[in-house]
This record gives sequence, structure tokens and C-alpha cells, in this order.
Amino acid sequence: MDVVLQQFINGVTVGGFYALIALGYTMVYGVLKLINFAHGDLSILAAFIGLTVLTSGIGGADAGALLVALAFVVAAALVGVAGFALELTAYRPLRKAHRLSAVVSALGASMLIENGIMLIWGPQVKVFPANLLPHISWSFGGASISFVQVLIIAGSLLLMAGLYFYVHHTRFGTAIRAAAIDQDAARLMGINVNRVIASVFVLGPALGAVGGLFIGLYYREAYFNMGWIYGLNAFIAAIIGGIGNIPGAMIGGLLLGLFNAFAAGYVSSSWQEAITFALLIAILLVRPTGILGERVADKI
Amino acid sequence: MTRTLRTNPEQNASGGLWRSLLLAAVVAGLVGVAFAQKPILIGVQAPITGQYANEGQGIEKAVKLIAKQVNDKGGLLGRQIEVQTCDDAGQASQAAICARQFVNAGVLAVIGTYTSGAALAAEPVYARANVIQTSDGTSDKLTQSGYETFFRNAPPNSAEAKFTAQYLLDGKHYQRIAVLSDHSSFAQGLSDAVVNEIKQAGGNLVYTGFISAGSQDYTAVLTKIKSVSPDVLYFSGYYPDGGLIRAQMEQLHMDAAFVGGDANQNVAFAKIAGNAAQGAIIVNVPSPENLPFPAAKQFLADYKAAYGEDPPSIYTFTNADGFRAVIAAIEATNSTDPAKLMDWMHGMKDFQGLTGTFSWDQSGERIGSPFTAFEVQADGSYRIVYPEAAAQ
Repeated sequence: MDVVLQQFINGVTVGGFYALIALGYTMVYGVLKLINFAHGDLSILAAFIGLTVLTSGIGGADAGALLVALAFVVAAALVGVAGFALELTAYRPLRKAHRLSAVVSALGASMLIENGIMLIWGPQVKVFPANLLPHISWSFGGASISFVQVLIIAGSLLLMAGLYFYVHHTRFGTAIRAAAIDQDAARLMGINVNRVIASVFVLGPALGAVGGLFIGLYYREAYFNMGWIYGLNAFIAAIIGGIGNIPGAMIGGLLLGLFNAFAAGYVSSSWQEAITFALLIAILLVRPTGILGERVADKI
Repeated sequence: MTRTLRTNPEQNASGGLWRSLLLAAVVAGLVGVAFAQKPILIGVQAPITGQYANEGQGIEKAVKLIAKQVNDKGGLLGRQIEVQTCDDAGQASQAAICARQFVNAGVLAVIGTYTSGAALAAEPVYARANVIQTSDGTSDKLTQSGYETFFRNAPPNSAEAKFTAQYLLDGKHYQRIAVLSDHSSFAQGLSDAVVNEIKQAGGNLVYTGFISAGSQDYTAVLTKIKSVSPDVLYFSGYYPDGGLIRAQMEQLHMDAAFVGGDANQNVAFAKIAGNAAQGAIIVNVPSPENLPFPAAKQFLADYKAAYGEDPPSIYTFTNADGFRAVIAAIEATNSTDPAKLMDWMHGMKDFQGLTGTFSWDQSGERIGSPFTAFEVQADGSYRIVYPEAAAQ
């Protein structure tokens, strides 16, 4: 039982990262039917921006929690701006072009960001300072959970709940949903669709940025090309939950994290990734729209 | 004292003259003998240019430094040592040319080379000409051809696994061993070899498995490992993952010790593992500055004083050890007959090398591994803990 509980905690922590990053995929897909392959790299860019803030020495040696909060704000803001710039330069000019062009443009943007990170911060593994966050952990029933893990799980659940509320219970959220259903009709209703799309490209990467910085703070290391593997896993999470569906991305992320943990713990750690991708294929065969999905992902 | 030694021309004019003449004759005779004695020729075959130039130049510098030190003390058997260098660029084709050049020059022994491929190509040429060859090449093939002339001065590829199993079983008496690797050919090869050695020695393996390098979260596989309660976890992969594994072991409150393969030796290991780094064990050949032996510390100081730089790696020192063994053989046998020297070298016991105590078996394999297990300290530095002879 203690092993099951521990694997559950392990899985939910990783699932939180996947879910936060998956939200960005699913929001963009929901409105534009575009898979933003640069999204994983944008999220990891946040880890590097956060690292720069955390090692800048702002606020002196014992700034602690405030410095971490500042790192989150700066990383989310800058990555949000980067997402907007990406939309403006890489996707908007291709809005009327064939869908494949936008996908290729997304892949190019992914490589641009990845190599940009390498040129700015270098190809070596970057290490986050120790003792930024309290080094506390709790044991119960033979399992243990650390302060950072609690922060990650609580933080990601709060952000997801906030996003859900924003999209379903505010005026602008309604505009986003309207644009997702039918852009032309939304435009006829007086909705500025370009503004909606831009806001999606700011919100999604900003949430991914929180996930990326969580990853950096939790593992305390970041390397320039890790956006790809996190992006891929988050993409799978979005598909499992039903791409285009916000609660689906949350459920997909958490399920994928749990599935990874139990596959490694009870089947074989060597086959962990093979099993993950087998699950993706199985879900696409049995339920192509994902768990909560309403639309068939047929556009790419 | 000084007064009596001085010749007084007024008192003792003729006697002084005779004595001076005699002295002059003796000095002339001695000098004549010294000139007549040919120097002992030693070859350095090393990659002086190319990809491994740094390592090759280190070998050349170490050999020249030792030769100078011996010559300054009067040479060997009254003869000076003369060092000739041939650049093999780390390539087999160039190595064969070097070998013929040295054989034609009549060298007694060749120190080097750095790469296994170049050492392998030169090996049969030296063997036919009865020229002693001592190289750090790590390919297991080098000692498998049965050449009496070849003496490996560094550990072969298989030595790390042997040493690791020895440390885990004889050194620490671990009863429940878990082995973790990534999917790279290097880490997998090392972990397979370690597992084989542990099995052969009758050790108890409770878990063997893999991680995907770079996936960062190893808590799931570590939780699995924790559930079989090992007393040690051996990881054969690289430091970015090793540091994380060590940190996540602590996060999961695992009591097992952490032992990492040589690819965990990097300053970033301790940074990534953070508070958990202290107490982690890494198995590798020590770098020259970590060698605990007084002779090694002295040679390192001499090397730095002579060249104003650090030696490139431990292989500078293992090649120096090969040369030092050849010198010891010449002194012990009072001869420069290659057959006698090789006999002595094959039979020598517990030679005190810069890189630890070693001897050679009949195939020229180094017995007495320079591998050490060292513990990561709170400040990220290393302290050798095994073998006891090397522990500080």
C-alpha cells in the first residue's frame, strides 16, 4: 500500500507538469485547430528565464520566497510576450494558408527557440541554486511528499481551476469559446477574433511557463533541448483528455503522470516510454476524441 | 680544511704539478669513457598532433621530465637516457611508420601511445624486433595477442567493472545490490559487465533496470527499487541523471548507498544532487591531483614546475609509470638486454607506481587497478575511500 501511495504521489507531481503544459496545446488547438509544436520549448524557456532571475541576486541573499514569486511572474510575463510574438510572426501570416504550412512553421519555431536557448544559456546542464525553497518533507503511511511537490500539485490545481473559471464564467472566456466553435459567426457577433487568438497565445504559454519553472525548481536542472520531451508528453496528455477541451487536458496530464509512474513501478522502467506511446495509440483507436473530447482531431 | 687542500706552489711546486697532471689524465679518461658509452634510447610514440594532441604531449613531457631527472643524477648504468619522439597522430597508419622508425633507430623501449588503435598497429612491429612497448591503450585486444613485449600501464576497459564489484562485495560487503543504467551503449556495457562480475563473485542482485536518460523524473523506478530494500544502488550512466537520482533517493527517504560509474564524475553532479550529494560514492581512476601517494604528489609538482601547466589526465601518469618500471628493470638487472628486462618486468611484484601498486601478468596486463572509489564531500570535493592503501 505504501508503494502504491508513493507511486500515486510521484505520478501526480509529474502529471501536474504535463497538465499545465497540455493546457497551452489544447487552448490553441481549440481555437485554431493548430498544434503549436513550439509550446514545449516556450515552457522550458521559462525555466531558463526563471533561473536568470533566481541567480541574479535581486533582493539579497535571503530574498527566498519573494524571489521565487518574482521569478514566476517574470517568466510567465516574458514567455507570454514570446507566445504573442510567435503568433504574430509565425502563425498569423499563415492563417489563410494550408494547415500543413502552419504545422511546419510551428516545428521551425520549436527549433528556433530550442537553439536560441542554447545560444543564450549554453549547451551545458544548468543547475538551479539549492535551498531556494524550504527543504521539508512529510512521511505518512510509508510514503513521503516534499514541500516542492505540495507546491507543484496545489499550484497546478489552482491555476487549472482558475483557467476553467475564466473560460466558462467571464465575458472574455465566453468570447474564446465562441471563437472556438465558429470564428466567422463569432466575428459576426462583434467578437474581435484576432484579439481572442492573441490572448490564447499569451495565456497558454504563460501557464506552460509556470509548469516549466516548476520543472526547473523541482529537479533543479535544465538543459536547452528538454522542451521536446515535455512538449511531446504534454501533447499526448492533451490527446488522452480530448484535445481542445480544457478539463480534458488537466485529466489527461494527471492520468499520463500516474500511468507513467505505475508502468515504471509495476511493469518495467525500460519499457516506460514504449508503454506510454502504446497507450496513445490504443486511445486513438478506441476513442479518437479522447476521454472528454467532442471534436475529432482531423485537421492535421 | 680549505688551507690544506689548496696547493701551495712555493712549498710543493713539482709535486703539485704532477698531481695536476694526474688529475687531468683521470678526468680526461672518465670523460672519454662517458663519451664512448652510447646513450640508452627510449622512444615516445604519442599523438603529438590531432584530436588527442593534448594527451600525447602530456606523455612526451612526462617521459622527458623523468629522463632529465635520471640524467641529472648521473644516468642509468653510467649511461645517459636519450628520448626520441614520433607523432602517430592517434592513427594506426602513422603508428606503424613510427614503430619501424623506432626499430631502425634501435630504441630499447617505447612509451605510449595514447589510443588503442595506434598501439595495436605498432604492437607486432615491436614484438618482432624485441622492443619493449608500454601503452595506456584500454582495448582488451592489446593483451590478447600473446606478445611478450607489450605491457599495459593503464586499466583495460573491463577493469572498472571488476573494481566496482570488488568494492561493493569485498570492500563494503553489500548484501542486496540494485543496478540501474540508461540505454546508452556506454552505460549499458558498463552495467552489464558489473552485473556479470557481481554474479560471478556470488553477490546478491535484487534489482536491475533502466532509466531513459534526460527524462528527469526517476521517482517511480526509485520507489520500485526502494520496495525491494537494497543496501546499495549502483548507477552506470551520466552525471545529469546520477545527480537527480541521488537527490530523488533522498526525497523518497531511501537508505541505500549510492555508487556511480565514472561518467558521474563532474562538478555538476554535486550541484544537481544538492544537499544529497554528500556521501555519494563515484568509481573512477583518480585525476593526477587526487593521487594520494607522496611520489605522485612530488611528480605532479615537478611536472607543474617544469611545464607551468597541469598534466592532461591520469594517463600521463600511467605512461610515466610504464617508463619508471623500465628504468627499475634496467637498474635491477644491471642490463639493457630486452629479454632480461622483460623477464624482470613480468616477474616484478608490487611495483610502487605513481598511480598505485601494480605488477604485470604474462600477457602484459596490469594487475593492480588504479581505480578508486571516492566519496563526494559537502563542498563538492572528493575523498578517496577505497582501496584502503589509497584512502587518505
